[in-house]
Amino acid sequence: MNDNSKTERSRRYLNPYVGGVLLGLVLLAANFISGRGLGASGAVKSVVATTIQAVDKDAVNTMPFMAEYAQSHTGSPMRSWLVFEMMGVLVGGFLSGALAGRLKLKVEHSPKITSRRRLVFALAGGTLFGLGSQLGRGCTSGSALSGMAVLSLGGFITMMAIFGTAFALAYFFRRNWI
Amino acid sequence: MKPLKLLALIIIPMGIILAAVPADKTRHFRLTADELLQEAGAGVQFISPDVVADMLVQKDPLLQLIDVRTPEEFEAFSLPGAINIPLSNLLAEEYVDLLNQDTRTNIFYSNGSVFANQAWMITRQLGYENNFVLEGGLNYWFSNVLSATEPAQTSPNEEFARYDFRKSAAAALGGGSIVSTEGAAPATAAKKPPVASKAKKKAAGGC
Amino acid sequence: MGPLAPYEIISENTNFLLAFFIGIGFGFVLESSGFSSSRKLAGIFYGYDTVVLKVFFTGAITCMLGLLLMSLFGWIDLDLVYVNPTYLTSAIVGGVIMGAGFIMGGFCPGTSFCGAAIGKIDAIVFIGGLFIGVYGFAFTYGLWEKLFMDRYLGEPKVSESLGLSDGLFGLMLILAAIGMFYVAEWAEKKWPRPEY
Repeated sequence: MNDNSKTERSRRYLNPYVGGVLLGLVLLAANFISGRGLGASGAVKSVVATTIQAVDKDAVNTMPFMAEYAQSHTGSPMRSWLVFEMMGVLVGGFLSGALAGRLKLKVEHSPKITSRRRLVFALAGGTLFGLGSQLGRGCTSGSALSGMAVLSLGGFITMMAIFGTAFALAYFFRRNWI
Repeated sequence: MKPLKLLALIIIPMGIILAAVPADKTRHFRLTADELLQEAGAGVQFISPDVVADMLVQKDPLLQLIDVRTPEEFEAFSLPGAINIPLSNLLAEEYVDLLNQDTRTNIFYSNGSVFANQAWMITRQLGYENNFVLEGGLNYWFSNVLSATEPAQTSPNEEFARYDFRKSAAAALGGGSIVSTEGAAPATAAKKPPVASKAKKKAAGGC
Repeated sequence: MGPLAPYEIISENTNFLLAFFIGIGFGFVLESSGFSSSRKLAGIFYGYDTVVLKVFFTGAITCMLGLLLMSLFGWIDLDLVYVNPTYLTSAIVGGVIMGAGFIMGGFCPGTSFCGAAIGKIDAIVFIGGLFIGVYGFAFTYGLWEKLFMDRYLGEPKVSESLGLSDGLFGLMLILAAIGMFYVAEWAEKKWPRPEY
């Protein structure tokens, strides 16, 4: 039974070490070409900034968040490296899923809980992650992964905080997963 | 072979190699033409002769004067403590360590400032720092520092201060008797002149 | 000599175009490794699926080795490569909040986009949550500002703060990671689960 699932596994997903090396090469390419690592939460921030500006033209003056964003970005907020990268992520993820036959509209959840419960937690988790990624100046891709690759102290600290907290809280949410 | 073993066998030796190789502290990078133009235009490479005179008087150990003229001219006259690197020899192997370092302050000088400036441009383009040019060269040095002229009575105080300083410096450097310096406040002679800031354009990152 | 964009060897528009392609690579690798499944992602915290650990650390180490080697050969100027700044307080607080979000939601922003790309509704909902979180932050910025800017330490590298050379720290990291991988494989054998 175990053997069966193992072969299933190797047919469906890449060997994690191979995946890791490939990921590292993508990250290396990003650093070599653009001088910066990967990221994700920043793209969400760009979209948020664009919508805020679209609704309230004076947002740059009235909202300190917008001022801080405008300081680090000139031009349209959507013209940001991360926005283009995340669009690529959507395409890449889709391609990979299509090639492996994993395209399916569904809610993935442990058989022990309902779909609804899963979605509620997904929303809550996403909200927390959205907030946390702004404070932490990055998410697992930008701060932890890319930060570790360049040996950034802030990146390491954030990574340890993320995984440490998740481990600590795992017990309380075990019903959702196992 | 198990993938993990294979991975370990590859990356551990690589890690050992990188750990063993010493990190190159003086990382070279070349300036772009734009950056060089900016710095040259701003004149960041010039050091006032008063500052140099002060450093000489104080016997600043970090000072290194470099005469870029021909050896014959160097023989004829040179500033105290100066060494001779004729401009044509500037890029010789033996001088790289001297020119590319961040401890001492190298000051190029020549008769005017054309050759000294050329020396500066070449070394700056290679990314070397802490190299400067004596403003006005030896010509200015002679006519204004060593033979300072007394300012007119109606001149501002700084002129008098500068004159006093130059007289005493000339005496100290010319070998004559040292006249008491009164309020000889030269231009701010920082022990280590400010390093020209690199116009580095780092990519914005994050998230 | 890299990096290309800061040296203006490529234009900004080329940079953005290449960002798109890099993103495709990123998304493809993530999805192929199984990061589009929230159950696989959460597996590391319960021991049944350590793919996150393996991919993450192998990726970071591969890139780190790559950068150091390229710098050794003079192919890249590491001074111009972005090093994440360290704001001590917000790094920790943000990390804690993100950790909670991770164990609850089972995704992180990058992987949620992968999940959404293959049709996972929980991933799409997670993304919705991301937007709520960021809007919330934007509108309550005043509350966070002080914490956000507190204790700025510059952009130190871990190796610098420990007084080690980059290469030496890299080696230690590699050894630690390999150690963790062996533990992970042991854990997976001990608590097996069917593949998700």
